[in-house]
Amino acid sequence: MTFSLMKALPGDPVYTMAGERADPETIEKIRKDIGGDKSVLAQYMGYVAMLAKGDLGRSYYTNRRVLDDILVKAPNTIRLASMAMLIALPCGVMLGLIMALSRKTRTDRILSAVSVFGLSIPVFWSGLVLMFVLSLKLKVLPPSGTGGLKYLVLPALTLALPAMASMSRITRVSVVEILDMPFIRTARAKGIAELRITTAHILRNALIPVVTVAGLDFGSYLSGAVLTETIFGWDGIGRFAMEGIVKRDYPVILGCILITTVSFIMMNFFVDLLYRHIDPRLRTGGNVD
Amino acid sequence: MIRPPAVLRFGLLLGFFFICLGCSTGSRQDGYLYYRLNADPSTLDPAYVVDVTGGSISAKLYNGLVKLDKRLNVVPDIAERWDRHDGGRILTFFLRKGVRFSNGREVTADDFRYSFKRILAAETRSPNTWVLDRILGAREFMKGEASDVAGIEVRDKYTLRITLTRSFGPFMNLLTMTAAYVIPKEEVDRYGKDFSVHPAGTGPFILNDWRHNTELLLRANDHYFADKAKVRGISYRIIPEDLTAVTEFELGNLDVLAIPVNEFSRFSKSGKWGPFISSARGLNTYYLGFNCSRAPFNNAELRRAVAQAIDIDKIMDTFYEKRGTIARGPVPELLRQWGPPAKSGYNPTASRQTTKGLGAGGKVINLYVNSDQEVLDLAEIIQSYLRASGLDVRIRQLEWSAYKAAINNGEADMFWLSWWADYPDPENFLFPLFHSSNHGPAGNRSRYTNKVVDALIEAGQNASTTEERNLNYMNAEKIITDEAPWVFFWHKTDYTVSSPRLKNYRIFPVYNIDKGTEVSF
Repeated sequence: MTFSLMKALPGDPVYTMAGERADPETIEKIRKDIGGDKSVLAQYMGYVAMLAKGDLGRSYYTNRRVLDDILVKAPNTIRLASMAMLIALPCGVMLGLIMALSRKTRTDRILSAVSVFGLSIPVFWSGLVLMFVLSLKLKVLPPSGTGGLKYLVLPALTLALPAMASMSRITRVSVVEILDMPFIRTARAKGIAELRITTAHILRNALIPVVTVAGLDFGSYLSGAVLTETIFGWDGIGRFAMEGIVKRDYPVILGCILITTVSFIMMNFFVDLLYRHIDPRLRTGGNVD
Repeated sequence: MIRPPAVLRFGLLLGFFFICLGCSTGSRQDGYLYYRLNADPSTLDPAYVVDVTGGSISAKLYNGLVKLDKRLNVVPDIAERWDRHDGGRILTFFLRKGVRFSNGREVTADDFRYSFKRILAAETRSPNTWVLDRILGAREFMKGEASDVAGIEVRDKYTLRITLTRSFGPFMNLLTMTAAYVIPKEEVDRYGKDFSVHPAGTGPFILNDWRHNTELLLRANDHYFADKAKVRGISYRIIPEDLTAVTEFELGNLDVLAIPVNEFSRFSKSGKWGPFISSARGLNTYYLGFNCSRAPFNNAELRRAVAQAIDIDKIMDTFYEKRGTIARGPVPELLRQWGPPAKSGYNPTASRQTTKGLGAGGKVINLYVNSDQEVLDLAEIIQSYLRASGLDVRIRQLEWSAYKAAINNGEADMFWLSWWADYPDPENFLFPLFHSSNHGPAGNRSRYTNKVVDALIEAGQNASTTEERNLNYMNAEKIITDEAPWVFFWHKTDYTVSSPRLKNYRIFPVYNIDKGTEVSF
């Protein structure tokens, strides 16, 4: 489906590959070279045959193997996504918990307003503001580049902000719901310490929807945070795919879609596994501890 | 306390592992120049380089027989001198001795023959065959009808003779281009298609490291045969976003910055950076092209009326912030060695009358533009001027690849485009753009056809003296400006700002002049 959609798009990679001064012979030569003279079906079959051999082809422009490039870029994207999640998840849950436990107070209202703001700001704006403050003014972090932890903080923070906001809201809602449940009263009556009630009883039960959202967010980061990666010059899958799309570099586009689909499915699988651990009711067979 | 489930612990561990993976410092290295690129170069193989970025880096890695100097003259490079026979049809190049590739082997005439044949060979599928296809026997070789190129002859180890099918004025200019650089056969054999990421040449710099989409690092070649680089190396940092690049520059992480459009007035008015701005009048022409092959713009009178309807001087002074010079014809002033064509001038009344007289009033006209915001703004300005002349312009904005296909196929009535010199010769602004053999992707996207212009351009190409050449080009340019297949807008000036620590930095009108050997700290 992606294959035929892509071919139906207007635009032709051959013209960009051929430069500004290409005679019709050169154009035909290049088109033939990339198989553009064959029917869409024949091109598709060719691609599938290549895939079966574990090859994703070579980029039309760089002539480099798409798989090699993906193997460089995918770990970068995973690092960025993981870092963003490591910031967003604990902070979001913590904020949500504070909001829920102090519901209907001024703290709750202020934090709610902040989280709505966090949800609504676009990443290109928050990214540039963070860069302005942390790089240009405070000079604590490099504004762009792909590398170690210091390069990772800015893009991860930018990516984490909206996720943090949405997680705090979801945590708040589900914690508030649980707070009124009979088993919490029971726990209090048993004389269990408040901290343990909050962590073991409330939080654990409130986590299911949070994990769902976190999983979805993580999956979407893996398929590429195009804007964030572009602003901070991060060499990830999103930027790679975007450049491929702009130049109609079909092997690159297909390779990226394939890899992100696989990672999305794997992420969902991982989230399903996590559900079973968080909520024993979801387990089939085995003991409930 | 809750014990995190095993699967979660595993996930966290994995995430942490990936975060710490690939840590590298990436901070400034002493003695290195830091430049910015907005995209990773596609290739550094001379056979496939078609863009300015790839060309300017290639200029630092490779050399050709000849090169351009600062005044745009063709001067010796690896060839220390050359002889011309038969009105420039036969050229004999005498190579310097002791020029070495980065792998240590000496360059001989055989290497040039190999490099040129590689460009022309059908299996290379190079888009740059046009640079060399005027050599005798090149076309036959390209088609596979001959096993060798008759016009490339190795006379001895250091002598190369090139014979053209007929004398061609700009040929020496073509030899300064990326496609005419010399490369070592053994390295191409070793890397095959991956030669593009393992380039080996004779240039003042050698590729040291290339982290795609992040940084391209060149180090100075200590064995370079001419003036060696005064810096230890050059780092090209790939930063797609303009504002990020500005931040990097202001923090001192970049030494040179091509000033982004939106930052132009801030930098030029800044007391801090003002003195460090350098500019070069570019060898380019920005134009509004007409599709001359069909109605309504197959009529020169209507094309002239459109030209009269737009106040280009005003757009230049306001919208474009005087970042260029007004174009009087297709040929940039730097290259025009004759008087400029007469100026048509802004005359909305005459324009309106002509449109009305031709019955074109109210006609819907498609103006195709790419997805650049500046271009879209300009298109709206043009639209409003033409509305005043009674033309109903509909703007069609397309993403670059689709845009290019559309104008190459002649779908647009009008389109906005620019042309940048491949080499500094007026011929480069006439033959590809207005000769009737180049309709469509070869350059003549306005599909302009005039047999007289064709003949004048050809006469200029084959002229044996500069005077004869100039006379032919002047006459061709006069007819072209009169028939107005384009509305000639401007020649854009390039502006860069450089770090105060930098010495001898300047920008050049052609991308491959700068070998990077003069600049120092």
